[in-house]
Amino acid sequence: MPLKLNELIEELREADRQERIELLIDLAKSLRPLPARLEALKDSTHRVEECQSPVFLFVEPADGVLEIHADAPIEAPTVRGFVSLLVEGLSGGTIEEILSVPDDLVDRAGLVEILGMLRVRGLTGVLRRVKREATKAEIGRSEGSGKSAIG
Amino acid sequence: MPETYAHPEVLVTSAWVLDHKSDPKVRIVESDEDVLLYEMGHVPGAVKIDWQGDLQDQLIRDYIGADKFAQICSRCGIAPDTTVVFYGDKSNWWACYAFWAFKLFGHADCRIINGGRKLWVDRNLPLTKEVPHYPATDYKVGESGEKRIRAFRDDVFEHLKAKKPLLDVRSPKEFTGEMLHMEDYPQEGSLRGGHIPGAKSVPWSRAVNDDGTFKSASELKAIYEKEIGLKSTDDVIAYCRIGERSSLTWFVLTYLLGYPNVRNYDGSWCEWGNLVRVPIAKGA
Repeated sequence: MPLKLNELIEELREADRQERIELLIDLAKSLRPLPARLEALKDSTHRVEECQSPVFLFVEPADGVLEIHADAPIEAPTVRGFVSLLVEGLSGGTIEEILSVPDDLVDRAGLVEILGMLRVRGLTGVLRRVKREATKAEIGRSEGSGKSAIG
Repeated sequence: MPETYAHPEVLVTSAWVLDHKSDPKVRIVESDEDVLLYEMGHVPGAVKIDWQGDLQDQLIRDYIGADKFAQICSRCGIAPDTTVVFYGDKSNWWACYAFWAFKLFGHADCRIINGGRKLWVDRNLPLTKEVPHYPATDYKVGESGEKRIRAFRDDVFEHLKAKKPLLDVRSPKEFTGEMLHMEDYPQEGSLRGGHIPGAKSVPWSRAVNDDGTFKSASELKAIYEKEIGLKSTDDVIAYCRIGERSSLTWFVLTYLLGYPNVRNYDGSWCEWGNLVRVPIAKGA
């Protein structure tokens, strides 16, 4: 798992319940806005269907690594916070690093305790989607069409 | 003269909430789908009760027991004669669920803030991050409302045989069986798709306006009575996926239209769609 993501997960894991809630809210607030060119591409092909809220995800190849951009509504702070965690922790990572993220990340971050089982399923879906999009972006790059956003 | 709700007192306005903000007999409760919303800012004086973490048993699929419920009320400064006013996200979907759970334990005076969290925020009404603390109460749980408002799978089976009205409040694609779970929601593990035979499809969202408020009495009657053919004397069971959306429909039929015999089947499709050899219908 990339170092940056590992640090964030450790921080969440070591926090108590209230601190975890505050960390997630801080993450939700710090998600950077989509670049204008991607804002225009927010359509169904970039929407994360596993999420009840409108979450949009873009994975783009850049200089041997993958850049991740995402958007989620502030009215759904849990999913926005988790999306922000993935963007912060994984953007700029290699395909190997992204695929090495454990699938029980949500649990490892101690989020099951604050969210409950039913709510974490959607979040696990976001991680699966990041991995799938990263794989597609990598395949796109190796086929020589690495200049366009693939999602 | 416009038709009024059967029990108009169960819906309160934001102005009423602001007028009662220091009333010790009134407790405001936020219940949301997104568990972080309360911490981002809530109605001043409101406490948080989570449908999952607080009201559901963590081991078996059921609600908490009476002792645990009494502890939660005590912690929130709720006495048996407190007016408990619920609000939340998603058009008060979870607020209605918490309301229904409070009625399971026989709490007398429960109300809903019409428009829920969305309307409150959209009107730029005050929000605070301050978590209030109230003196603990000695809460005695009243007479259980379970028999009147909760249906179990055997009750549904009897209902089905007697051809009594069943309402399926899920989305149209869940009803037809085209989709096993709510669109955009995670799959929650039903092995079969479709609906309980004889159930009529009335998605829960038809009862609410875009601003989160409930539709008027005449609009609701046009849907549930003229279109679906229900009568106020009917014995009705409503269900959805896990009983959350149907608690909103239960609230609408019981309190806004005044039907005395409505039950929520909280086992819902996550139970029925997994039972061996129960009848299932597919298609519209």
